[in-house]
Amino acid sequence: MTALGLHDVHKSFGITPIIRGVSLEVGKGERHAIIGPNGAGKSTLFHLISGRFPLTEGSIRLNGEDITGLKPYQINRRGLSRSFQVTNIFPKMTVFENVRCGVLWHLGYRYSFWHNTRKLKDANDRAMAILQQIGLADRAQLPASFLTYAEQRALEIGITIAGGAEVVMLDEPTAGMSRSETAHFVSLIRKVTEGRTLVMVEHDMGVVFDLADRISVLVYGQIIASDTPANIRNSKAVQEAYLGQALESHGEAEH
Amino acid sequence: MSDATMTAARGNPALDLLRRYGIWVIAAAVMIVLPKIFTSGAALTTMCLMGIMIVFSLAYNMLLGQTGMLSFGHAVYYGLGGFLAVHAMNTIAAGKLAIPLPVVPLAGGAMGLIFGFIFGAVSTRRAGTVFAMISLGLGELIASLSLILRGFFGGEEGITANRTKMLTLWGVRFGPQIEVYYLIAAWCFACMIAMYAFTCTPLGRMCNAVRDNPERAEFVGYSTQMVRFITFCISGFFAGVAGGLAAINFELMNAVNISGAQSGVVLLMAYIGGIGHFVGPILGAVLVVLLQVFLSDLTGAWMLYFGLIFITMVMFAPGGMAGLIMLHLPLWRRGTLLQIVPSYAVMLVPVLMGLAGLVTLIETSHHQLVKAATDGPAMKLFGIAYNSNSLLPWIVALALMGGGLYLGKLWGPRMADAYSDAAHGQDSNKREAGK
Repeated sequence: MTALGLHDVHKSFGITPIIRGVSLEVGKGERHAIIGPNGAGKSTLFHLISGRFPLTEGSIRLNGEDITGLKPYQINRRGLSRSFQVTNIFPKMTVFENVRCGVLWHLGYRYSFWHNTRKLKDANDRAMAILQQIGLADRAQLPASFLTYAEQRALEIGITIAGGAEVVMLDEPTAGMSRSETAHFVSLIRKVTEGRTLVMVEHDMGVVFDLADRISVLVYGQIIASDTPANIRNSKAVQEAYLGQALESHGEAEH
Repeated sequence: MSDATMTAARGNPALDLLRRYGIWVIAAAVMIVLPKIFTSGAALTTMCLMGIMIVFSLAYNMLLGQTGMLSFGHAVYYGLGGFLAVHAMNTIAAGKLAIPLPVVPLAGGAMGLIFGFIFGAVSTRRAGTVFAMISLGLGELIASLSLILRGFFGGEEGITANRTKMLTLWGVRFGPQIEVYYLIAAWCFACMIAMYAFTCTPLGRMCNAVRDNPERAEFVGYSTQMVRFITFCISGFFAGVAGGLAAINFELMNAVNISGAQSGVVLLMAYIGGIGHFVGPILGAVLVVLLQVFLSDLTGAWMLYFGLIFITMVMFAPGGMAGLIMLHLPLWRRGTLLQIVPSYAVMLVPVLMGLAGLVTLIETSHHQLVKAATDGPAMKLFGIAYNSNSLLPWIVALALMGGGLYLGKLWGPRMADAYSDAAHGQDSNKREAGK
């Protein structure tokens, strides 16, 4: 079963092509990583899938349903949720409320102005459960802007998974983290995406090879390989285009 | 208010009830008792105006403070609500409609809601500057229409009504101002509760989310445009209710009520009171009405003072009066509030000096520019008679201001230190000791 399917997706900014014909299938329950050099278009691809930018050409399907041209909130309601590379939370609201914002629509409260959120046991319990999962339960009542960077990144993921989306997309979840934080984060991501489809962009090859079931390599707006981690590691084309460098620098970082 | 404290308080249901509703009981009690303390006609009129403006500024803050929408034309919904209410009152008086007077503000609310729906559908498509510009344009459009469509708006004289010629309920004719006061107070109280309750609803919470980070709100399933639109309609409704109350209170609606100036006043009220807290606009409405009523009696240059207060607030206390109070809440909780009183008292000296100088400067200039031609140069200020033509008052004014400024600069940091000591001092020590 395909959870997310991209068919010949193109995106140009003005006359500059950024995504040049990407076709990709992500199966249900699969953990799929997209890697590639800087400027390859990974984040743009994320923005296209999540509806932040319109496509120039091509189509995207979510669980077999065409979502091309839909607004971000419409795509989110259909079960695709994403995080951001730069922390993107509600800074003045409490940590608890940040997560609850991610819950409300999906429990059917929509634009209700006749429910009292304090009495919405299902929403509050779910938000609390997610805070527990991401390890921020004791920070619940703090304004989100008071959190440390790593905590904000965790909150970012908490908001993303709060609505119970089947397809979760994480844009560089471990960017800017220390090694110990990264290790902790990998297990966190593994835990919270249990039973869901995960698509992630990640620069840390350790994280990628640790988490991913399948890896796609994006170079200059095109996918040059899409395979299992083992095959990607041994692929000559990938070595030449990107991975050689990336693995080297990863190796250096470990020394 | 927070969910954690809520759970903590659940152990004691009586305490929980008190915590949650105590403030409302106090508010209701204050509103009931006030006219018994301030019995003069002027005081009663002022309090009626406060009640109306509290509703209006709270409605306005649903947009500005809660959803981050800066509107320059919210008097449109207030004014249209008021005009419809005046017409409703006249229709009722003519015997064509059997509605008791206390329900008339609802007609104003309906008018605000309908036009909020129509104009909101256009203006809430965009946020930020575009929204502000559209609101300004619509405001000007309706304000100029109010002078053209004389049938509905009555031209410059406006439309009058007589609230006593209504269907009477339980013998209350709403002739005396005190009866109108209690009508306004009841509506004001109900609207305050309703608008506070709104902040606790899913939509109310998402308003804050849209204000803080509209992009992210879209990625958790919410159309920011729809959140803005529904909130705009509801805000229009409450502004219309305020207009309806104004119609009952003044028995008159004219072009001023729907003008850009009225839109400006509500913005000032919300901002001076503090847009970041629910109580802010209430405080702002009370203060601004007080200033409008009393300052305008005291001095012809009251608009200038009004403007200076606004500028001072924006520059030095962007959280408004509510923000200033909230700054001291942690001190109250830690029991260190009294600790800073001496340093504030010391600070009072330069503040009063500077103010005295400023007032002297403004009043003397005002006298010279406006009144001297007819009344002569002699004037009186703070009980001191002097000649505005002589050099001495100017020197004194500048000296006072300079002295105040100098001492303020000198002692300001000390006050700031005293505040941070009271707020964090021991706390941070404790934290260090804990480590």
